[in-house]
Amino acid sequence: MNTTSGTKSFGSTGDIDVGSLNKASANGSPSRYFDRHFQCEAAKILPGEYFATDKNMVLVTVLGSCVAACIQDTRLNIGGMNHFMLPRREQDPHNPVSMSARYGTFAMEILINQLIKMGARRENMEAKVFGGGNVLRGFTMNSIGEANANFVGEYLRNERIKMVAEDLLGVHPRKIYYFPTTGRVLVKKIKELHNHTIAERESEYDMRLRNVVVGGDIEIFK
Amino acid sequence: MKTILTVDDSPSIRQMLAYVLTNSGYRVLEAADGEEGLALAQAHTIDLVLTDHNMPRMDGVTLTKALRALPAYRKVPIMMLSTESSPELKQAGREAGATGWMVKPFDPDKLLEMLRKALGSA
Repeated sequence: MNTTSGTKSFGSTGDIDVGSLNKASANGSPSRYFDRHFQCEAAKILPGEYFATDKNMVLVTVLGSCVAACIQDTRLNIGGMNHFMLPRREQDPHNPVSMSARYGTFAMEILINQLIKMGARRENMEAKVFGGGNVLRGFTMNSIGEANANFVGEYLRNERIKMVAEDLLGVHPRKIYYFPTTGRVLVKKIKELHNHTIAERESEYDMRLRNVVVGGDIEIFK
Repeated sequence: MKTILTVDDSPSIRQMLAYVLTNSGYRVLEAADGEEGLALAQAHTIDLVLTDHNMPRMDGVTLTKALRALPAYRKVPIMMLSTESSPELKQAGREAGATGWMVKPFDPDKLLEMLRKALGSA
């Protein structure tokens, strides 16, 4: 069986083609460290990244307006996390294939496929979803966080993947600690910000998404 | 009217493909994995197969091999549409007899253009 998959990125390098970023696994290398508090290996998941593993470790991420889906196969005790937001360009709720919908679908599918490759089955998957806070404010009145939170809920319902926990919306950023082998999650609401790192990182990701091309390579075999 | 068989375990992807393809005048049949796809292909006349790779029960490359073994599907275009983009898997697809490989996420216009080309030369 596939053991640990490296963190892969679907939107985090300077390149703007999401499809080709999928290949560039080396670019999305996460910061790995030993977490002294939890006494296990830890990986930090940044916006536009995902990570799946069967190892006893902790996946850590900080969410403002972004969302993260933590998906576990409860029989195999393997799990993974993604971290994304929808591109704001072309966010038409009446168009099922808007760029926004296609990007979000890809961000979810790439994590689910990684778990399937490790032996997981859809019917044994359980999801816990977080984020979508009203942190990154746009020029328009509608909240970026709300659009992200709505998307992830609808996607999971549509895919018939059980959503067993959620902590979405609100005004505070969250720090998430996810234990992929047990499915345990710790959520810390960040009430006092000492710097602008979260909003800055998300703004930077938001800017990258403005130029993103949501379409992969096509090769015709001769 | 041309009939396209879409094979993908994700309902979201099947719905998106059905939306794009039916709006462009294709008839769409849907299967959730390779086995279901193979059964549908044998029960209907299909002009083009558009299949995912990673699926339960039977994956896309295996489905392609199984279809190519059937006299009726020796020449029907079979396009792979997968999150996978490794040269090794693409090569496996090519050897199985796939017509081409598209990496997800799909761009609706590019998808339609490629399907038109594949159907035109079939």
